[in-house]
Amino acid sequence: MLFDICFMPISSQNSVYCTMFSLMEKQEDPEPSTVENGSEKQEEEKQVKEETLLHFLDSTDSYLTLIDSISSTLRQGWLELASARHDMGASRVNTALLDLKVHSASTSVQVSQQDADSMFAQHRFLLRKWASSDDGESFSAEEKSRENKLPTESDSQLRHRNSSHYSEKTSERNGSPLTLDDQVQKQRSKSLSVFGVLVSPRLRAAQISFETALEILVEIANMRSTMLATFDQVHEELEGTQR
Amino acid sequence: MAGRAQIRTNNSALIAMIADEDTITGFLLAGVGNVDLRRKTNYLIVDSKTTVKAIEDAFKEFTTKEDIAIVLISQYVANMIRFLVDSYNKPIPAILEIPSKDHPYDPAHDSILSRVKNLFSAESVASGRR
Repeated sequence: MLFDICFMPISSQNSVYCTMFSLMEKQEDPEPSTVENGSEKQEEEKQVKEETLLHFLDSTDSYLTLIDSISSTLRQGWLELASARHDMGASRVNTALLDLKVHSASTSVQVSQQDADSMFAQHRFLLRKWASSDDGESFSAEEKSRENKLPTESDSQLRHRNSSHYSEKTSERNGSPLTLDDQVQKQRSKSLSVFGVLVSPRLRAAQISFETALEILVEIANMRSTMLATFDQVHEELEGTQR
Repeated sequence: MAGRAQIRTNNSALIAMIADEDTITGFLLAGVGNVDLRRKTNYLIVDSKTTVKAIEDAFKEFTTKEDIAIVLISQYVANMIRFLVDSYNKPIPAILEIPSKDHPYDPAHDSILSRVKNLFSAESVASGRR
């Protein structure tokens, strides 16, 4: 069985990489019935190898699409930041104003490792935006139930305030959704207050853009982990067949 | 799933950043800034006066801290310490190369893509960059 894979970038900015994957099977003579079980096993192994390779190619493609997405989101964020600087003045939007007092990050990441015993363990990242100490307890209960799901592109594990996923989760909670929204808004305002009390709406828009960028970056981290794990598997299998 | 053993979890790990001023400002607006008790930040602002040694030290510091899960680094900054970035092979923290305002993303320089490209190409990784 031969693999012929051509990886052709169209342009550095274009996220659509054309992958041509052609699989050529050798024609084999009909085997005697005594080795039928052996050929079935080989068939299964071949299928597993193909699936691993497809998984790797899918994750690579998703990675590149997400990179394109982060580029455009960041560009939007920089433009909004530049507009805010134009509105408010360069002295009001710069890093000299940053808070250097001791404080912990409001937005953090939860990391979990799946199949820790396996050689090809993957790490999963989950973004926790504007998490306060109260939110931390209620997050963990729901995340355990979601750990069993297979991570896919469409299955976003991010807790975006305005998404339908979040609205379903808030109905399961005992706490009032308005309180949580208020807390998040409070955290956002606190973050903006570094640049003054009255800030340009473009600065608020920049904040939202960079929050979106963070979500995409966490997806990229997950895709990277999948890519590396499946790459190691494929590499291992290729080396095994070459021996 | 039955049989899944020892899932290691870090519930609130940080995102470190080595990037230009605007990128850092933007992400700090999103709430990722952290200043610990020793007044050390989880970010390094890179400008024209920043030395390569300072960037290397920050990269080494962020990749050895246990409470950091993701390190964001602008690709043009990663190019300055390319040897360090390419020789890094731990799963955590994850090193993500991001574009900057003046330097768009170049997939040829991405360390992850370079690593997996070897599967398909007989050429060495270094020759593809020159």
